[in-house]
Amino acid sequence: MKHLKVIFILAAVIGLSACQSKVEYGDATEVETVNENFGSTDLQAIAAKMVDSMLTFPPVVAMTANDRPIMFVDKVKNKTSEHIDTESVTDSISNKLLRSGKFRFIDMTKVDSVRKQLDYQNNSGMVDPSTAISFGRQIGAQYMLYGNLSSIVKEDGSTKDVYYKMTMRLMDLETGLIEWSDEKEIRKVKSKSFLGM
Amino acid sequence: MRRLLLLTTMMLSLSGCAFNSVFINYPSQIAPVKAQLNSATPQQAAKIVESEVTSADGLLYAQEAGRSAQIAGDFEASKTFYQQATNAYRVFDDKAKLSLSDAGATATSLFINDNVIPYRGPGYERVMLHQYQALNYLFSGDAEGALVEVRRSNELQSSEQARYQKSNKSVQAMANGTIDAEVNKLGKAAGSTTSSFLNAYSYYTTGMLHEILGEPNDAYIDYRKAAQISPNNPYLQKDLVRLAKQLSMPQYDEFKKRWGDAILPKKEEGQVILMLERGFVPEKKSLTVPFTIHGNWQTASLATYFPTKQTVRAGRIQGLGTVLIAAPIANIDALAITALKEDLPAALIRQAARVYAKSEMAQSVESESKRRNNQTDYAAIAMQIFNVVTEQADRRSWLTLPEQAQIARTYIKAGNYSVKLDNAAPSSIEVKSGRTTLIWVIDTGNYTRFYSIII
Repeated sequence: MKHLKVIFILAAVIGLSACQSKVEYGDATEVETVNENFGSTDLQAIAAKMVDSMLTFPPVVAMTANDRPIMFVDKVKNKTSEHIDTESVTDSISNKLLRSGKFRFIDMTKVDSVRKQLDYQNNSGMVDPSTAISFGRQIGAQYMLYGNLSSIVKEDGSTKDVYYKMTMRLMDLETGLIEWSDEKEIRKVKSKSFLGM
Repeated sequence: MRRLLLLTTMMLSLSGCAFNSVFINYPSQIAPVKAQLNSATPQQAAKIVESEVTSADGLLYAQEAGRSAQIAGDFEASKTFYQQATNAYRVFDDKAKLSLSDAGATATSLFINDNVIPYRGPGYERVMLHQYQALNYLFSGDAEGALVEVRRSNELQSSEQARYQKSNKSVQAMANGTIDAEVNKLGKAAGSTTSSFLNAYSYYTTGMLHEILGEPNDAYIDYRKAAQISPNNPYLQKDLVRLAKQLSMPQYDEFKKRWGDAILPKKEEGQVILMLERGFVPEKKSLTVPFTIHGNWQTASLATYFPTKQTVRAGRIQGLGTVLIAAPIANIDALAITALKEDLPAALIRQAARVYAKSEMAQSVESESKRRNNQTDYAAIAMQIFNVVTEQADRRSWLTLPEQAQIARTYIKAGNYSVKLDNAAPSSIEVKSGRTTLIWVIDTGNYTRFYSIII
């Protein structure tokens, strides 16, 4: 009986300590495989591939040799079966392109805020007219960057195969020509463990 | 005996079983939710089951809470509940092939009843979860999110389709005395057509969402599948002819011959699509058979559906030009009955094992000396009572689903209209030329709720 008590207390202690959760910092660029869903590693792989491909593409190199072309990023259309924040993908890509010093960007998501601010500067009567930025002085974009993210998911009893394809294109707004295009494929296979909780 | 009890308690705690529906049958737990939904204060309904979402049967309660919030028009709250249900399904998907907690639950079910096994909904419920989640996204203005859910339900639909052939055979191959009669009865109630296995309403909803959100090609595929399951729906036939013409599909001539030429909207007209959901899906009933083994009383309880006689009326929609008569697209009760029929073989095996385990338990507490001296054996009586009381049929299923879904579609001049279903209070909707007004009508019996959105 006494033994039983000791064993019980031991089990309780082990059980309690196992339940304690902890928080740790990890490396943001570490490979993440918590599950097969679209994750940070996929996002980073896509952004790196797209930016590399674009900056080394000869016509784009020529285009940016003496000039910093202005572009804007249209939405990446999410055609997968997961709720993915595609704005975050385009943010990473535009960040990298901007940091390369070869392009300049217009942020279309902030047009409304800018309009409100200019409206305030020009029409509220609160701002010194000589310092107010007047309407119609912004520079138009020459290129549009856009893309599609699609996926194919297949599943049978124990295996799940997820395939992602991100396609991106750069369009010259004046001529309508596609100046650059590339795709990044990602395949993830998940197999169920045989024994577990 | 002590050891056995200890073992049982241990296994109970191991599997972390849900005591909710173990002793109180599930339909009676959900009855107040349905009563609230069919009252003037449907907002209260989700609150009743909200706290159970984290329990072992959380999946089921999350579905009920999500649907309740949806009927009440709180699409954001419904989205959260459905997301919880989706996560719960994921956990099941990710489980190992030989899962210890599953084994624990199954073992516990041998001493108590099947309600201790965490609820894992049948395929059609999971498809409907994503279908309803898509409508949540749409009605809260996120078309892209809606399409994501549509694609998810498409993925599940195709796996259901693959399962359909297989299960059809396994259900037929089953033969087992009185239970066989019960299965046959269920078979008659559900019918043996495709519509009792596959849900035309889900296909139609996903197709319709594809169409109004600018993917007519995908819509055509889903409409065709819906038409295979529910071939006599006139609105679906018209949709198919129209899309075949618009997409210049090779089937256009054939469809035109069968159902007449496509009707296209005129310039100043807008499209009105109406989805009507009526009633609540029937509850599982329990079929209890008492018998004795070695002089000890035992019962076996199985879930079943009793046939319902009443048919669902077709909705008459007034206020949109000529009176529109909605046409049924799917009977959810038939799907529920088929799902139960498919589940019976496994339930029977567990039942047989349970009868054996319980009779062994009853025998092990019996005292030979007491029996010989004709004394009352309280332990044996207590065991028999325990056995009979714990023997409860597994009556869990998603109960806030509608009994039948109907559809209607028409083109009408742009403007404001007052739409009325049967004798319910009218509701005003707006139609814009070249756009689609989607009206979702949920009729819970005493109350009819209208939700509309212009796309």
